Amino acid sequence: MNEVKENMAYKPQYGPGTSTVAANRRKQMDPNQKLEKMRDVTDEDIVLILGHRAPGAAYPTAHPPLAEQQEPDCPIRKIVTPTEGAKSGDRIRYIQFADSMFFAPCHPYQRTYTECYRFRGIDPGTLSGRQIVECRERDLEKYSKELVETELLDPARTGIRGATVHGHSLRLAENGMMFDMLQRSVLGEDGIVRYVKNQIGEPLDRAVAVGKPLDEKWLKAHTTIFHSLGGSAYRDDQEYIEYVQRIHTLRTKYGFLPKEA
Amino acid sequence: MAKIERTQKLFLKSLKEKFQGQDVESETTEFYKFNGYHQSPRKEEFVKASRAVEMDRGISMYDPVRCHLGGIPLGQRQLMTYEVSGTGVFVEGDDLHFVNNAAMQQFWDDIRRTVIVNMDLAHQTLQKRLGKEVTPETINEYLHVLNHAMPGAAVVQEHMVETHPGLVDDCYVKVFTGDQELADDLEPQFVLDVEKLFPAKQAEALSAAVGKSLWQAIHIPTTVSRTCDGGTTSRWSAMQIGMSFIGAYRMCAGEAAVADLSYAAKHAGVIQMASHLPARRARGPNEPGGIGFGLFSDIIQANRKYPNDPAKASLEVVGAGTMLFDQIWLGSYMSGGVGFTQYATAAYTDNILDEFTYYGMDYIKDKYKVDWKNPSADDKVKPTYDIVNDIATEVALNGMEQYEQYPTMMEDHFGGSQRAGVLAAACGLSSSIATGNSNAGLNAWYLCMLLHKDGWSRLGFFGYDLQDQCGSANSLSIRGDEGAIGEVRGPNYPNYAMNVGHQGEYAAIVGGAHYGRGDAWCFDPRVKICFADPALKFDFAEPRREFAKGAIREFMPAGERSLIIPAR
Repeated sequence: MNEVKENMAYKPQYGPGTSTVAANRRKQMDPNQKLEKMRDVTDEDIVLILGHRAPGAAYPTAHPPLAEQQEPDCPIRKIVTPTEGAKSGDRIRYIQFADSMFFAPCHPYQRTYTECYRFRGIDPGTLSGRQIVECRERDLEKYSKELVETELLDPARTGIRGATVHGHSLRLAENGMMFDMLQRSVLGEDGIVRYVKNQIGEPLDRAVAVGKPLDEKWLKAHTTIFHSLGGSAYRDDQEYIEYVQRIHTLRTKYGFLPKEA
Repeated sequence: MAKIERTQKLFLKSLKEKFQGQDVESETTEFYKFNGYHQSPRKEEFVKASRAVEMDRGISMYDPVRCHLGGIPLGQRQLMTYEVSGTGVFVEGDDLHFVNNAAMQQFWDDIRRTVIVNMDLAHQTLQKRLGKEVTPETINEYLHVLNHAMPGAAVVQEHMVETHPGLVDDCYVKVFTGDQELADDLEPQFVLDVEKLFPAKQAEALSAAVGKSLWQAIHIPTTVSRTCDGGTTSRWSAMQIGMSFIGAYRMCAGEAAVADLSYAAKHAGVIQMASHLPARRARGPNEPGGIGFGLFSDIIQANRKYPNDPAKASLEVVGAGTMLFDQIWLGSYMSGGVGFTQYATAAYTDNILDEFTYYGMDYIKDKYKVDWKNPSADDKVKPTYDIVNDIATEVALNGMEQYEQYPTMMEDHFGGSQRAGVLAAACGLSSSIATGNSNAGLNAWYLCMLLHKDGWSRLGFFGYDLQDQCGSANSLSIRGDEGAIGEVRGPNYPNYAMNVGHQGEYAAIVGGAHYGRGDAWCFDPRVKICFADPALKFDFAEPRREFAKGAIREFMPAGERSLIIPAR
C-alpha cells in the first residue's frame, strides 16, 4: 500500500471543502488515515465474487516471472519496484463497482482518487454508473479485500458488477437494496446481504455473505456525495464551489499551464 | 449565485404520467415484477414481427428471452414511455430510434438532399458571354424546365430514360432574393418570399443580407441521396441545372460556356449544407459530420416561428441536433448499435432540459435584467468570467437539486451522460442567451461539467474524461489551429468528435446566442431562408413535434418505393 512520505516538499491536500462530504473524501483519499474495517470477508470469498479464477487454482500468467525473464536495461524499471503480481507475471484482471447516488459511501471519481493514493500498479476507469480498477491478479485480490471489507462499501448501496451495472441512479428497492437487473446480491431474512452470483452474473456454488446494510444515519454521515435533501448540499460548501470555478477559469485562461500572468 | 424561486416544474406532468400511481419524490419503488419486456406493447410487437420474419426467411432474429443477458430479458424494472418535450405526445422509447421513425429519417434526408446555388454567375455568363437576354420571364421559363429536369427528366436529348414522378415527388427548386421587386415578378410557385415567411424585423435583415442576388434552393430526390450520398446532391443538381440552362436558353449543348455554368453550379456558386471530412472520416460534402453549428442553427427555424422565445428556439435545435449528431452521425455513421439513442433522447424528452433552461431564463432576468422574451442585442450581459461562472453555477446547482428532489427524474435520466449533457446544455443556453456570445455559452458548458463531476463524483462515460474535463481550455481559444468561434465549429471539431450528448447541444448554444439577440440568422442568411420553405416534407420550425409525429406513425415521408414493388 502507498503512504505519503513526510519529507516530501508537497503536502497533499486531498481536495477542498468545508463540508462533511469534503472531509470524508479527504479521509478516504489520504493513505495515512486508516479506513474503518466494517466486515470480514475471506480471501476465498473475494476470489468467488471476482470470478476470475477458481479458489485454490494457480494464478494464470501473462509472462514468466520477472526474475526468470531477461529485463531490458531500462532506468524506469530500476526506479519502480514491481508489485507482487507484476513480479509473478500475473495477468491483468478487474473489479468493478456500482455506487448508489443515495448516500453510498464511495463514488466513482472518489474511488479512483482513493485507489490512486492507496494502491500501486493500478489502472482505474471512471464512469457515471460504475468504476473499474484493473491490475495484476494477486494485487487485485489484495486490493479488493480492502475495498470490500472497509467503509468504502455498503452491502446494499454498493454493487460489485462486471456487466449490466444499472442501478446507481435508480430509486432503491423497498428493502433498501440498489437495483441490480441480475440480482447478484440479495438481502436475506436475517438481514445479511449475500452474493449469489459473481460480479459478471454467474451463479456461485455457495453464497458469499458481505454483512448487514449500514443504517441511514451512518451512510449520511460517511457518504462522499453531495445531496441537497438529507445530506450536505453542494451549494452550501462555498469553498468547494469556488475551487471548481477557479480551476475552470484558470484552465480557460491558461490551458493546462495554469500560471497566472 | 443565489437560488431563485420557480414554482413551475415542466417535467412533473411527464413524471406523473410515466410513473403512474407513484410518488415521484419517493426514493423507493418495486422491481423485478414487471414481467420483463411484456410490459412494453412495442417490444411485444417486435417479437410478433420477428416470428413472422423467421418463418419467412428461416433465420432466427429478435429473441430477448434467450439472447438478453443469458435469459434475463429487458424490463426487470419499469420500461418507461417518454414525452417528446414541448409536444405533450408520449411515445415508446423504441420509436425514437431513427430506424423506427420516418420523421427522423426525413429530417436528415431533407438536409442531405439540399444545396443552394447562385444564379447571378450563370446569368452573367448568359448575358455577357452569350448575349442572351435574362428577364423575369426567362427565369420563370428556366424554373419550369428545371423543375421538370431536377427530379430526373430529360430536357435536351431524345430517347432518354427518366425517373417516375411518383417516386421523386419531393424534388423541386425554388428561388429567393433580397430584391422584392424581382421576387414579385417571378411565379409565386417558385419563390421563397422572405417578406411573407419571416417576421418583419428578420425579413428586413435577411433581405438586406441577400441583396439583389438570386439563389436557387434545390432539393434533389430523397431516394437519390439515400441511394448515393450527400456528395451526390451538388452533382445531381449541377447536371440538371446545366441541362436546364441549355434547354431554356437554347444554348449549344457542347459549347465551352456550359463549363462556366457547371463550374458555378458545382463549385463557385454552390453552398453545401456540410463541408467534406478528412480522409480518416471519409465523407463527402452534405454529410452530418461537416455541418457547422452556426449553419445547423440556421437550418432549424424555430426562431422564425417563435421569435420571442429564444429558449424554445434553442431547445428545438437541441432536439434536432441530438437526433442528427448523436443518433445518426455518432450513433450510426461513426459507431453502431442503439445506445446512442437512449443517451440522446434525454435532451428532448420529458421537458427536463426545458425546465432547467427556463430556470436559467428566470435567473438571467432576475439577476441581470435580461428581457429574454424580447430578444435584443441591447440588453446582453458582458461575458466576463465572473458572470459566466455565476450563471453556469446557479443553473447547474439548480438542475442537480432537481434530480435530487425527484428521484424518478434521476431514474428517467439513469445514465450520467444523459444528466451531464442536459445540465451543461441548460448552463450553456442560459449563458449564451444572456450574453449573445456563443463561446461564453460553451465556456459555461464546461464549468457545469466540472461542477457536476465534483458534486456527484461522477460524470458521463469514459469519453467525458477527455472532452469535458479539458473543454475549458478550448472554449475561448480561437487561434486557427486550436479553436474557432462557436458558429464555425462543428461535429468534426477535434475535441468534439466522439462524445454523444454534446454536439446538438453545442449547436443550440451557438443558436441561442443569436436567438437571444434577436438576430435573423446565425451563420448564413441563405440557409435560414432555404429551410423556411413550407413545401419541404419536414417542418424545420417544429422538429420535436415532427419527431413525435414520426414516433406515433403519423408522419408521411418521401422516398416511397411502393410504386415499384409488389403490393403487400
